[in-house]
Amino acid sequence: MRVSWPFCAIILAMVLDAAAQQPTAAELFAMPDKGHCSACHQLPAGIAPASRADLGPPLSGARMRELGKPRMRALLDDPMTENPDTVMPPFGRHRILDAAEIDRLVEFLHALP
Amino acid sequence: MRFPEALRALALACAMLAATGCLAAAADVKNEIAARLRAQLPSLAPGDYALGSAAFDEGLRAGSDAPAEGAAEVLEAGRRIWARKFKNGRTLATCFPNGGRRVAGNYPQYDPRLKRIVTLEMAVNQCLKSHNEPLLDQGDPRSMGAVMAYLRSLSNGQKLAVRVPAAAEPRFEDGRRLYFTRMGQRNFACASCHVQGAGRRFGDQPLSPAIGQATHWPVIRAGAPITMHARIRECLELMGAAPFPAGAEELNRIEYFLAYLSNGLPLKANVARPAR
Repeated sequence: MRVSWPFCAIILAMVLDAAAQQPTAAELFAMPDKGHCSACHQLPAGIAPASRADLGPPLSGARMRELGKPRMRALLDDPMTENPDTVMPPFGRHRILDAAEIDRLVEFLHALP
Repeated sequence: MRFPEALRALALACAMLAATGCLAAAADVKNEIAARLRAQLPSLAPGDYALGSAAFDEGLRAGSDAPAEGAAEVLEAGRRIWARKFKNGRTLATCFPNGGRRVAGNYPQYDPRLKRIVTLEMAVNQCLKSHNEPLLDQGDPRSMGAVMAYLRSLSNGQKLAVRVPAAAEPRFEDGRRLYFTRMGQRNFACASCHVQGAGRRFGDQPLSPAIGQATHWPVIRAGAPITMHARIRECLELMGAAPFPAGAEELNRIEYFLAYLSNGLPLKANVARPAR
């Protein structure tokens, strides 16, 4: 089957456009209809606007790296597996975030100072 | 003692025992939550529970004695509806003892004849219905919200004294269950923030403890009265849950549960809350 160049260009443009529209991890962290992690957690100074949120613990890079990426991924997917009493939402299990979004957040949190 | 009299005495004793048992159950629930909150918030004075979230925010606390911006207009709108003459010449005030003064502290109350909880909003609509007047929309801040702002202001300082008789115990328990049940996409329960997280902050917003949550309604936000039911519905949306409709029985039961928890605390209507 022959595929024309203009057709490929349109598909490529659509893929690139969709990628460009994806929220960054920092945006996912703050968006009320996405992670909204900023409602509960504070980040190290300079990473995000100052906040007094403290329903959850403050997040530091050292703590995130101690947890490790697989456990962070599991916690974001469903924190109740580890702690049934947690108030943290099950972002993956309840489809608040998709797998790619969880991965982006994991990378973001793992790289925190 | 003749047999029928003995039977009557036995029945009375059983009823009293049942009532005592059920009251103790509601009291036990309150004691357990109070003990938990005391342990979590040891520096919070008992009287400060009535301040709600303002107890944890210096700015809100400092402004808690000043009239909320827009409250005067809301109160006047409520007073006009309250004083409006029905077709038969009566007014809303004629349906309540003392013209509505110092009554809010007794609501919600269980009506044994209707076999249901009656909130203050429902009592207003019962009054309108009994006089063949159009009912107020419980979800409308301009009508029912304004009436609540005025009527509840007539009970400022009155201490909450909500009773849970034996027959109402299942409704109280249902309110407790709803308050502690995780709901919606975010999987929060009301208690996640207001028991487990009481005194902490969600974003910039301090989280009021469950005890004291029933004392200061409506709040005035951006010049509009927000009733407790309206605020619970906002929370449900935040939780990613479909809110119960305005006036739903679920909201009545949550209010009944929360009002009982706040028994003994003074009412103060129309406190200021920041715009969102």
